[in-house]
Amino acid sequence: MTANKEDTNVRPSLLIVEDLQVEFDTYGGTVQAVRGVNFSVDQGQTLAIVGESGCGKSVTVQSIMGLIPAPPGRIIAGSARLRGHEILGRKTVGGGEIRGAEIGMIFQDPMTSLNPTMKIGDQIAEPLKVHRGYSARNASLEAVRLLELSRIPEASKRARQYPFEFSGGMLQRAMIAMALSCKPSILIADEPTTALDVTIQAQILDLMLELQKETGMAIILITHDLGVVARMADEVAVMYAGKIVEYGSANDIFYRSAHPYTVGLKEAMPTNDPARQHELKPISGSPPDLFAPPAGCGYCSRCPYAMQICSESPPQNNGLHDHHSASCWLHHPRSGIKPDTLFFGDAL
Amino acid sequence: MLLYILKRVFQGFITVWFIATATFFAMHNVPGDPLTNDRAMTETTRANLEAKYGLDEPVSTQYLIFLRNLARGDFGISFVQENREVNDIIREHFPVSAILGVLSVVFAATGGVLFGALTALYRNRLPDYLIMFLVILGISVPSFVVAALSQLSLVSLNTLLGFTVLPVAGWGTVMHMLMPALVLGLSTMAYLTRLMRSSMLEVTSSDYVRTAKSKGVPPTRIFTRHQLRNAILPVVTVLGPAIAAITTGGFVVELVFAIPGLGRYFVEAVQQLDYTVIMGTTVFYGAFLVFMVILVDVVYGFVDPRVSLDA
Repeated sequence: MTANKEDTNVRPSLLIVEDLQVEFDTYGGTVQAVRGVNFSVDQGQTLAIVGESGCGKSVTVQSIMGLIPAPPGRIIAGSARLRGHEILGRKTVGGGEIRGAEIGMIFQDPMTSLNPTMKIGDQIAEPLKVHRGYSARNASLEAVRLLELSRIPEASKRARQYPFEFSGGMLQRAMIAMALSCKPSILIADEPTTALDVTIQAQILDLMLELQKETGMAIILITHDLGVVARMADEVAVMYAGKIVEYGSANDIFYRSAHPYTVGLKEAMPTNDPARQHELKPISGSPPDLFAPPAGCGYCSRCPYAMQICSESPPQNNGLHDHHSASCWLHHPRSGIKPDTLFFGDAL
Repeated sequence: MLLYILKRVFQGFITVWFIATATFFAMHNVPGDPLTNDRAMTETTRANLEAKYGLDEPVSTQYLIFLRNLARGDFGISFVQENREVNDIIREHFPVSAILGVLSVVFAATGGVLFGALTALYRNRLPDYLIMFLVILGISVPSFVVAALSQLSLVSLNTLLGFTVLPVAGWGTVMHMLMPALVLGLSTMAYLTRLMRSSMLEVTSSDYVRTAKSKGVPPTRIFTRHQLRNAILPVVTVLGPAIAAITTGGFVVELVFAIPGLGRYFVEAVQQLDYTVIMGTTVFYGAFLVFMVILVDVVYGFVDPRVSLDA
C-alpha cells in the first residue's frame, strides 16, 4: 500500500502489487474477481490476506504466480514487482525462474495437491532438478534433508513413500518442504490449514514461523480464519468483493479496526475470553454480484453505517496513521470523524 | 505379492473349470451327435471313439472322463478332421491369433493413449473435433464392414500405385499383419481414446497439476511426469476386458483376411458340431483370457502405487 512505501525508503519492499485487476469470462458474463488490489510485502514479514469465500484472495495470489487459467481468466491491469522487476505474466525475473524458485506456494488441500503416483521425495526433488540443475542423486539427498527440516521423522524412509501413505498434516509438511526446496524469497500459503484439524493446524503454523525465522523469507498467507491471522501476521489486508477494504498491522486490524466489515468479521468470531463474551453476530446479507459490481462501496448493502454517498461512489483509500488505512467514507477527511475512534470511542 | 498371484491363479483354475463344465453340458444338450455326419465311418473307428470318450456311458461318466483328459492337457482328437489332435490345432493356429491379437492390443493401447491425450490437449479445437468424430465412427461401425472397406481401399491403392503396398489378405510377413491388426484394434482404440480423453481432462484440472505448475515445472515435464501416468490408470483397468474383446472379435477379421488363426477353426467346429474341437478351443480361450486378466491386475499394481498386491 502507498503508505507502506514512505517508511521503507531505506529498503524497498520485496514484492509490491499495485492496482491488480483480474476478470474471468464465463457463460453468465464477465466476473470482476479482483478490482484493483494494492499491497506490499517485506522480507521476513508475514502479510495475511483475509476475507470470506469468493472475495478474490486466491485469485490475487494465483495471478501473481501465473496460475490463472487463461482463458477464461485475464489480468486486465496492474503490476507486481519483485525487487523492482515486473513479474506479472512473466516466468523469469532477472534470469531466475519465478515459480518454484523465487516464490514457493502451498495449497489448501494437501491430500489432493500432491501427485498420487509419484514418491514424496521425487516430488520435493523436482524443483531442485528443474531450477537448480541438481543431479538425481543430490536432489533426492536434499529432499530428505528438506523433509527433516520440515520435522518429518524417519525422513529417508518417508521420502520413498507415496502420498497415500502420509497423513494430512504430514502431507502439508511435505508440501512446505517442496515449496521451500529452492529457498524462495516469498512463500505463498493459500489457506494452508483449512483442511487440517486444529492441533495439526497449530503445528503447521509454528513450522512456517520457525522456517521463516531461519530463512528470512516473506510469507503471504491467505486465510479466512482470524485466529490464524492473529497468530501469524505482521500486516493484514482485509479483502471484500475484489478489493482491499482495510490494511494495517495486526494490532491495527484487531484493536483499531477502522472498516465496518472488519468490525463485522470480529463480531462474528467466537472468543474464549469470558469478559468479552458476546452473542455471535453474523453479517447479514451476502456479498455483491461481481458480474455487475455496485457503483459505490461493495459493502454498502450490508453495512450498518451506510450513508447516501456509499451507494453512489466508491470510497477512496483513507490513510489513518502509519500503515493503517481503510476504504470507507466514514474515514474521509470531511467526515469529521477522528481516525481510530470510530468503533472504540464516542465518535458517532 | 507371490501369494497374491498364487491366489489369483487358483481362482483362475476354478473359473476355467466352470467354463469347461458349462461347455460340456451345453454341448450335451445340443441336438445331434458328433458321430452322425456325412462322412462314412468304419465300425472300428466308431467303436474306438466311443470307447475313448465313453460315449455309450452315462453323461456323468463322460464328464469325469472329460475332466480327467483335461487335467492331463489332452483335448482329444477332432471328430471331423481325421487324425488331427485338438492340441495340434491349437499349437499350430493359436500363435497366429495371438500375434494378431497382441499387435491389435498394442496398436489400440498406444493409439488410444496418444489420441486421447491429443484430444485433451486440443480440447474443443479442430484436432479434438476431428478425432472424436472418427472415434464415434470407429465405435459404431462393425469390424466386418471396416475389414471389407479396408480391403477395398487396399486394392484400389495397390492398383493405383502399380505395386503392392500392403497385401490384401493372407498371412506370413509383418506386412500381412498390419492391416488386420489395425482393423481388429480399431473399435478398442476408439473406446480407449474416449476413456483417455476424459481421464486426461480430469487430471489436467487436478490440484497436483496446479502444484506442479506452481513449482515451475515445464509443461512437457508436467505432461510426462504428472499427467500421463495418472491419466493412464483407467486405461490399464479396461485393458483386460479389451484383450477379451479383441481375441473374441478376431474370428470375423481372421475370416475376412484369410488368416489361418484359431478363430476360423472355432467357428468351423461349431458349424460342424466338432465336439472335441469346440470344447478344446473354448477351454483354451477361457484359460487364456483368465491369464490375461490376472496379468493386467498384476501390472496395475506396478502402475498405481496405491494398489497393493498383498493377498
